[in-house]
Amino acid sequence: MRKFFPVEELARDGRFNQITMKDRMADPRTVLGKDGVRPSSNRLVPSRPDASTAARVLMHGIFVGEIQALEGAGRTCHDFRTAGDQARRAQDAAAGDDSGADAVPFALKLDMARQAWDEARHVEISVKLSDWMGGEIGEIAENTVLQAACSTDPVLRLAGVNRALEGLAIDVFTTMKEFGDLAGDPFLEFCEDWMLADEVTHVKMGSDWLRKVTENDPERRKKALEFQGIVDKLFSYGGTRSDSEESPIGLARRFRELAGFTDSEVEDIAEVSLAALNERKDAVARLQAEAASQFAGR
Amino acid sequence: MTITVTPQTFSYVSFDADLIGRVAQSLVGALGLEDHPVSIEVDETTPLARSSVALSDDMGVVDNISIRVESGAFEDTRRPRQQSENATATTLGRVLLRARDRLLGGFGEAPPDDELSLAQMAAWETYCVGRLVRLGIEVNQQRWRYNFRNRHGFSDAADAAFDRIWAGDGLTWGELDEISRAASAT
Amino acid sequence: MADPYKPRAPFAPWDRRELPGSFDVEDSARRVGNYKWAEMKLFEALGGWVATVPELDVKMRLGTHCYKHAWHADLWHKRLPELREMNPDRLTQPANDAMVRFVEAMTEPEAPDQTIEKLVGVYRVFIPRFIAAYTFHKNNTSQITDAPTIRSINFILQDEFDDWRDGEMILQSLIETPDDVERAARHQARLEAIMVEAGGIAGPGSIGMTSTGASANGPQNGSAA
Repeated sequence: MRKFFPVEELARDGRFNQITMKDRMADPRTVLGKDGVRPSSNRLVPSRPDASTAARVLMHGIFVGEIQALEGAGRTCHDFRTAGDQARRAQDAAAGDDSGADAVPFALKLDMARQAWDEARHVEISVKLSDWMGGEIGEIAENTVLQAACSTDPVLRLAGVNRALEGLAIDVFTTMKEFGDLAGDPFLEFCEDWMLADEVTHVKMGSDWLRKVTENDPERRKKALEFQGIVDKLFSYGGTRSDSEESPIGLARRFRELAGFTDSEVEDIAEVSLAALNERKDAVARLQAEAASQFAGR
Repeated sequence: MTITVTPQTFSYVSFDADLIGRVAQSLVGALGLEDHPVSIEVDETTPLARSSVALSDDMGVVDNISIRVESGAFEDTRRPRQQSENATATTLGRVLLRARDRLLGGFGEAPPDDELSLAQMAAWETYCVGRLVRLGIEVNQQRWRYNFRNRHGFSDAADAAFDRIWAGDGLTWGELDEISRAASAT
Repeated sequence: MADPYKPRAPFAPWDRRELPGSFDVEDSARRVGNYKWAEMKLFEALGGWVATVPELDVKMRLGTHCYKHAWHADLWHKRLPELREMNPDRLTQPANDAMVRFVEAMTEPEAPDQTIEKLVGVYRVFIPRFIAAYTFHKNNTSQITDAPTIRSINFILQDEFDDWRDGEMILQSLIETPDDVERAARHQARLEAIMVEAGGIAGPGSIGMTSTGASANGPQNGSAA
């Protein structure tokens, strides 16, 4: 089996249709404010007229996100050898890879295996909740975000998956938990709270390992945190997650603190999320102008 | 039977105005609304999925059925910006049934659409979709049950009310509203 | 009330544990090192395969089983220093070269249409060998001196049986045609041949018998008490 599996080859059954972030962002349509006609708040709350649909769509997003998180954690168990694994080292050398740069502590891999189990449970929970909400597996196109989990540097992978992707999961689960609580849904709040507890652990695991592995390598830590910033912006999905009321998903500051984010790190994420929202608005205006000019030229 | 679709050519999404027209024609026939001109306007600038219907007077006679739909309502969610025939039929069927209810009587005292409470709208939607299933349109019942529960509470009483409305035919607005109120009160 | 100062036998009549065992400290440590290496290879493979299998139920099971084998590896990792091996990496080794080749062959299938091969390697060859080696160790080591190993084996065996059943049932649900049967059997035979060469998880003598039928580390009867 290869190391460093490409994101394009994530295996899915026939129900799924995968699209890239690029495809998604090429859509000129927008839910964002236009001449004050659209609601200024898009936050996912039960009082939204389309709340049931929006919650079901978000649940499908959680479901596929959990599949990708499961795959990411599993691949980290496989892709990096432990420092003392001589047999694997010999195998890697025979395959032309003798750098040793990808060796990771045994305990880190154990944490990733634990995370794989947690994510597998989250997939199970999401399937059941989706069913409860009237969702169907594969009904929404799957946005593949696993590029962050395909880095060949384990530290970048921790920053991308455990801190950025799992950090997003904290924000999403908090929004969903509050939705379930307000709607009086007996299962949604209960399940989201359990998953949230796991995600806080995963982010903390990532934060702890990132500090530990880069303890004597400030340059590598800096690179990892910069990478996380890029992924955080990507995972803001053009403003789907930000402090702004225009974003359906808010930033879960309290749970992020529990997970080991410092105040300034949370502020940084708030800033990049808002920047993503504003960039998305500009991009949509540009795409709509292009579409209109194409239409006029027909 | 006059059905008009606007726009005729789409630039933000890959929708087919002819397909929209054909689906509408089939539904109008099945619902006995042939005497009413139907206009369908699609807002392709938004991926949201809201839909609305208005009946307009012509010389004092309620005649035209005007439907306004956001592009997400006709979209195949598996393939963004592509059209789903089933979603098109479900959306048009829901609004046409609401129009039919108002036109054929029994719903005279129903508030205008924009004044309906979320619970009233959920009840009426349930009533419409239940009838669409019996017309042969494939829908996910659990999806509508979840919507009904969100608006009436997660209780056995709400589920019983949903089942009654879903299976119902020939309900008046007064009956529908009463079932909805009773479920919410429980 | 019974007299708390009355002398009692240190071993109750129902406690039939024996002192003698087949393995000395070095033997036990070597085996435990082999177990840890093999469990590591198994959890790495299961984790890596998650992304390669399209079947959703299989994907979830592999993720779950991945952790269980990681936990087994951790139990053995923690046992090694207690067996006088202060550098656990030194004994975290495959039993022999054939075992390395076995793992290479087992992890060879990667394509999305090779789920049967992936599962056959794990659930029809590798895990049954774990069950065999652990059972032999548990039944032949000193029930008193090596009690911590036995305790770990008991936890681990429960997982192995559960996972084997899970994997075998998934396989039975995937194998639908005579061609599938042939595929599964062919792959199993290929892997089994390498495993026979390896002699089991801990090499020849993993279950006491060597390929010549002689007993390796056979039980030492008699009482040292």
